[in-house]
Amino acid sequence: MTVPRRGVSLMFLAPLVLVSQAWSDAHGPAFGYSTTVLGAGDSSVETTVMERLGTVMIGPVVAYGFRQNLQVSLSGPFNVNKGYHPVERSEAAMPGIPSVEGRVAWRFYDKLSGVATRTESTLFVGFSGTTQHLLRDDGRPLEREPGLFGAAAASRITRRYYWSAGAGYQYYGAWDSGKLDRESDSLLSSVVVGWRPPGFDRDYPKPDVRFFLETTGNWVGQAERDASEPPGGGGGQPQPHFVPASPKASSSTSQSGVIVLPNSGGNSIFSGPSALVTLKSMGFQGGLQFALRDERNGIQPAERYRAIVGVSYYFLGGRGKR
Amino acid sequence: MKSRASSLLRWLTLISIFLAGSQLHAQYERIQLRVYGLDCELCARGVAASVTRLVGVKFVQVHLKEGIVDVVLKPDSNFRMSSLRKRIRENGFRPMEAKVTALGKFQGSRFEVTGSGESYEVSVAAQKSAPPIELTFEAR
Repeated sequence: MTVPRRGVSLMFLAPLVLVSQAWSDAHGPAFGYSTTVLGAGDSSVETTVMERLGTVMIGPVVAYGFRQNLQVSLSGPFNVNKGYHPVERSEAAMPGIPSVEGRVAWRFYDKLSGVATRTESTLFVGFSGTTQHLLRDDGRPLEREPGLFGAAAASRITRRYYWSAGAGYQYYGAWDSGKLDRESDSLLSSVVVGWRPPGFDRDYPKPDVRFFLETTGNWVGQAERDASEPPGGGGGQPQPHFVPASPKASSSTSQSGVIVLPNSGGNSIFSGPSALVTLKSMGFQGGLQFALRDERNGIQPAERYRAIVGVSYYFLGGRGKR
Repeated sequence: MKSRASSLLRWLTLISIFLAGSQLHAQYERIQLRVYGLDCELCARGVAASVTRLVGVKFVQVHLKEGIVDVVLKPDSNFRMSSLRKRIRENGFRPMEAKVTALGKFQGSRFEVTGSGESYEVSVAAQKSAPPIELTFEAR
């Protein structure tokens, strides 16, 4: 279950909404990092729907290419139903926690070495403000604000094959809440191989199809709660997929006055297929990942699979007449 | 009075020459530009859309597998090859050599495309086909 976040974050981030369009990762993998960026003056809108542990998160993204190697994006993922949702970044283009995130992608290296061949590397920097707080059965919602995100990815792309690897770190601070609460930091890494079967290797303007095998690794740190604040009772009904804190799991209070929440954090590896289809100015994505490893601290629900679908529309044409 | 009329005539002549000069358009007719890095339909669509919006472009066809952007120009346009190369780079791709059909004249070993201010070193074989009004050559 989620509760509305106070409007301060949105007010602060509203100028970002007004002045920037943003970009999406819908050129490539569904879960993992992609280096591809929009052309200068191009823009796109995208909506991704992800299902995890019975909770559906929708992630709208708008994108704009300022230069051929510099893009800005704005995403606003939110939960549409009640339920437990893991806090780690759910995919490269979407924070795991409902929030508004502005991001910059800088493709700092590219080597265009042949027809339909390129090698490139991209850096990402993002800033997010939480828009919904997940209630917890072990106390009141954490006051987490704001989030910072940094990542790097490298790809080798040919007409037939696609290789990509990347890693990014999500940090949550406690700067404006006046409390020492802090949400779990998380690290998301990805390795993606892609393949376009010969039967789908058709020339423009016919639809394009590419298949991927995406493996992602998550490390999630432990969340902290201000020890001086009453823990509260969560304020809502028990969550359908949330297991109450184990009586045996003891919270530890550090010298800085925070309680490290025992039922938070862990690590996991997920892997599975995805596909990207582009047709005219639209892109369609879908993917399914299964847990190869899912070790979470304390008692947290096991996440066996993740599913994602997305649709994008691209406004192409560059800078206009010249 | 006579000198004033003479002065006026001089100015009118100068203005006429200036206006006539401004009517000289580039005479590119067709450019088949090889582009590196195009690997997907969406990339090709983006390039086609942005090149189509360049002034003077009549038609664009992208051959993804060969990495060729085929541009047909309108007659008497102000099109410049440098604009096309810049637009390709803005899309995130790398323009390479091109097969160009254009009207122009030779200045020594260089072929100057009429009105564009752009010229190219062309092969000896191409020069022997002179005197060309229309020439197809490799531009790098």
